[in-house]
Amino acid sequence: MDCPTCEAMVDAYVDGELTATESADFERSIAVCPECRKRLDSARAIGGLLRDLPAEPAPDLLRARVERELRGIAGRHSGARRGERMRWMAYAASLIAAVGIGWAGGTLTGRGSGDSDAIVASYLRMAMAEHTVDVASSDRHTVKPWYAGRIDYAPAVYDLTANGFPLLGGRLDVIDGRKVAVLVYRRNQHKLAVSLWPATGADAPARVSQRDGFTVGEWRHRGFDWRAVSDVSPSEMTAFATALDRAVDSDR
Amino acid sequence: MARMSEAPKPDPGTVERFRALMLPHLDAAYGFARWLTRDPVTAQDLAQEAMLRALRYFHAFRGEEAKPWLLRIVRNTWIDQRAKHGGEQPLEVVENQPSEGPDPEQSAQAGDRRRQVAKALAALPAEMREILVLREIQDLPYKQIAAVLDLPVGTVMSRLARARGRMAADLRGRLGRREHGLPDL
Repeated sequence: MDCPTCEAMVDAYVDGELTATESADFERSIAVCPECRKRLDSARAIGGLLRDLPAEPAPDLLRARVERELRGIAGRHSGARRGERMRWMAYAASLIAAVGIGWAGGTLTGRGSGDSDAIVASYLRMAMAEHTVDVASSDRHTVKPWYAGRIDYAPAVYDLTANGFPLLGGRLDVIDGRKVAVLVYRRNQHKLAVSLWPATGADAPARVSQRDGFTVGEWRHRGFDWRAVSDVSPSEMTAFATALDRAVDSDR
Repeated sequence: MARMSEAPKPDPGTVERFRALMLPHLDAAYGFARWLTRDPVTAQDLAQEAMLRALRYFHAFRGEEAKPWLLRIVRNTWIDQRAKHGGEQPLEVVENQPSEGPDPEQSAQAGDRRRQVAKALAALPAEMREILVLREIQDLPYKQIAAVLDLPVGTVMSRLARARGRMAADLRGRLGRREHGLPDL
């Protein structure tokens, strides 16, 4: 084999694209061709360096956006089912764990249908800005007054550090044109977002469910509807709801 | 876009099939988009747009390999977006993107080497960049690369050889001998 031939085969050899016979021919000729040997070593080194780059999987937010589009398209035929919609919203909300799920709660209570898609779209755009909390503090006496004049009710704010859920802060979300308080907690490496708004009617114990690997808690306690989303385990979600309810109770 | 509107509207069954076949390749679609656009945020937009376009074209999917089929759509979507927005984003902008979280390897030297490799790759002309990414990062065989880029296999091979040569020259300038491990010229 002459050098131009072996030169032309270097890349195919490195990439495993030669037949066994071609490979054997190539290996014989490269033994006597130092230039092609260098090309071979170089191609291998480049491959090694590029394969060593850290893999960048699709961000969770992108996955959530695509899921949402697919659900929307499938839903246009079957009629959007609330469960489906809720599942996606829980998913997206928890992916962007630090930000709230106020709008999900709005849909759940059926408080006005609104244009959920538009709300979700604007929410995702905002989430992409990595906007976590508007007021960052573990002090309820800082967080609670922050809402005064920003929303039309006074949310119940408690730090649950003693129970393993330190308060990170609070933020606002808009549901159906109404501003809602969202509190963000931390559980080990996980974040948990809980939105709350005034509700009437009897207390309802926490219903914990799992959707797409995320955990959603929904309950009513002492005049508030609570909706929490996180990637913690269901038992941790139950513990969170219990701790929160107790904190509310002990304050009365 | 006009062409696409003629496609049958995907029904829930089609969406489910699409989800099962194509969604597992979302990482690949994003990874390819990431190197085409050289920007993590633009890459998300591109990958999302490509997934939607892929769904619209899904009736034309004939059970071939899903990954190259999807990556080809990513690339075509990118070409269309580029044409719409008047060319590629200048590299000065993308070079200043903050890095994406901590490097998994603790060694600062390895981290620096990876940054230099990533910069060298990002600085390559699109034609060389895309083929190196498809081969070395997406790990596609020549036949599938040819399908993604719509090129004969022979052209894939010669283009890869050129891209590797250029990458080697760039890395010799950026890294020390011990780091790049490339043979001396």
